[in-house]
Amino acid sequence: MKSRAAKSQTADLFAAENALPAAPAPPAIPVPPAIPVPPAIPVPPAIPVPPATPAPAPQTVARRCVKQLWYAAVFPELIEGEPAVLRRLCMHAQRFTSFVSIEPPNALLLEIKGSLKLFGPLERLHADIDACWRRLALPVRSATAPSTLAALWLARAGSPGAGPPVQVEDLRTLAGRMAELPIDCTAWDIERLQTLRAMGVTRMGELLRLPRAGLALRLGKDAVQDLDFALARQAAPRRAFVPRERFRERCDFESEIETVAYLEKALEPLIERCARFLRERQAGVQTMRLKLRHRMGPATCVHVGLASITSERRRLTDVLTQKLGRLELPKPVRDMELMSGSLQPLSAGSLDVFAGLGAGSRDTAPQLVERLRARLGEEAVYGVASIPEHRPEAAWRRVQELPLASALQRTDHGAADRIMPRPVWLLDVPLPLPKDLVLEQGPERIESGWWDGRGVARDYYVARRLSGARQPRGAKLWVFQERQSKRWYLHGMFA
Amino acid sequence: MLREVSSLDCILADARVWRLKDASAAPTRPVWSTGCSSLDARLPGGGWPTASLIEVLLDDTGLGEVQLFLPALVECQRRTGYGGSDDAPWLVWIAPPHEPYAPALAQQGIELTRLLVVRPASATEALWAAEQALGSGVCAAVLLWLKGTDDRWLRRLKLAAEAGGALGVLFRPERHRFESSPASLRLVVTKGEHETRLDLIKVQGGRPGPVDFGGA
Repeated sequence: MKSRAAKSQTADLFAAENALPAAPAPPAIPVPPAIPVPPAIPVPPAIPVPPATPAPAPQTVARRCVKQLWYAAVFPELIEGEPAVLRRLCMHAQRFTSFVSIEPPNALLLEIKGSLKLFGPLERLHADIDACWRRLALPVRSATAPSTLAALWLARAGSPGAGPPVQVEDLRTLAGRMAELPIDCTAWDIERLQTLRAMGVTRMGELLRLPRAGLALRLGKDAVQDLDFALARQAAPRRAFVPRERFRERCDFESEIETVAYLEKALEPLIERCARFLRERQAGVQTMRLKLRHRMGPATCVHVGLASITSERRRLTDVLTQKLGRLELPKPVRDMELMSGSLQPLSAGSLDVFAGLGAGSRDTAPQLVERLRARLGEEAVYGVASIPEHRPEAAWRRVQELPLASALQRTDHGAADRIMPRPVWLLDVPLPLPKDLVLEQGPERIESGWWDGRGVARDYYVARRLSGARQPRGAKLWVFQERQSKRWYLHGMFA
Repeated sequence: MLREVSSLDCILADARVWRLKDASAAPTRPVWSTGCSSLDARLPGGGWPTASLIEVLLDDTGLGEVQLFLPALVECQRRTGYGGSDDAPWLVWIAPPHEPYAPALAQQGIELTRLLVVRPASATEALWAAEQALGSGVCAAVLLWLKGTDDRWLRRLKLAAEAGGALGVLFRPERHRFESSPASLRLVVTKGEHETRLDLIKVQGGRPGPVDFGGA
């Protein structure tokens, strides 16, 4: 049922493409009868269409797709594993559009519909972007299409006969243009391409004519989805490239400065601007760097690490002036530069409206744990819990999910049911011990665990080492004698 | 040049300036009974001072050094309404020499759900964690085990303890005995001939000297 629908759809697309020279009537725009919607998301029964637009709902879908125009640039000479190069190219591309996305391994996608007004028409914009790569001496293959994957595939396939780059602006002509492409341009894995070749499919057009359900069975669902993406039946979300930001500002002095006190004064506006920069981005830093340049010789660098991510001017000033106060200037300073470390999202806890109004800044337990874990690692901060179990080494465990939010439930410890004390420190592995002990308390026989292969049969004692003068001396130990081997082991210490 | 402009208020606001008024206010701080009457008698106010730093110097573990503090910790966890909240306060143990054994602590009455063990990678990280925990205001006590540290860090810990109203207990080797320390209480724990010996070497507001420690 579904496959037939898909087939008729592609047929429609081809028909539309063939009918292009004639004036295309708006109702002829082929709209996929069934846009694949994930079943979990309920489709609202009626999308309220604003009365001003007379267009029916399906048409708005089609228009929305055309609202995006994607320019794809494939750099065939970029070897895989050069994300840094692609990121740099992204920065170049951001001159033309705000939406640039990296397509590993060697391509970029630019959304250029929004830029046409400023840089258009399309031919000029396309040529401008191509010229940008040429200036960087990068061989490139580019194409423009209304959908992300189509642009990418067209660019990979390259223009026929080294002609002008392919530009498809209209959704109706898209399927026709794609039909000529070899299936290699999809960059699917070799296995899948071989399956296709074995089926006698070498061009996209032949692929698009195949029934959908059968394709999904043979090639996998994502292949069909890729085709949907390419024909703009389904939106393929992309993540825009966001360059890493740093704060970096320089301050030149009119005359050379020799005292640290003046430097502190001059630093204030820089910190102020840095704090504003961070606030605007809702970010904080954990490291700062201050570079003091002299007329001669190497610059003096001051590195500052902060206990937590912050954007507060007061804290930054405190730490920087603390560091500066201990600094001995080797030479007079001509200019200085304040640089931030990498920006990190600020947690909500740091932005306290009433900071400083209350009796000091008080944290909550989750904040404290979060901060400790942020710096020391998840595993380094944990709680302990006791388990009702006879074997001492199995009677406790680490707890990573701390009961931070829940209120305390006071437990009634069965202090009375254990007559023998337990030591504060327990050794991970019992240590063999020579028998020069004074047994002070015990024995407590623990015999358990025969069912899981880690059975123990031990007699536990509280003991002390014997000193040279045969006197009990020093630490109180928790020792046991293994009942079978009669050997003595140290298992804990009463700290 | 610029520093001279600062007024008297600025000077007094500086944490390094110690005012006599604070000294008279010191005894009003609550103290926690040590659970040992002979030791209580030697401490000003009759127990461990809160919101301050205590330094315990010892070379060996297993001398009952944690046991010195456990009754006080249990007592402070029992009291709700700490720090303006209804919740029991937290205990943080940083870099303990062995695994704290949960059944033993539960046996003594410690609320295990309010105990946090922190294992930092380095001494600096440990000190940082201690400073954070002490100053956070959610901890009643922070126990810290260290091989060595300098005076400046101890001062920071003490300031954090005062700000957060928490008790900081620092365990470190006895070789630091003759170094200066800002801790308000310093004691040395050694192996005695028969029992553990306890020496108070610095008591703010009290007299130093050996304690006739009843032992465990």
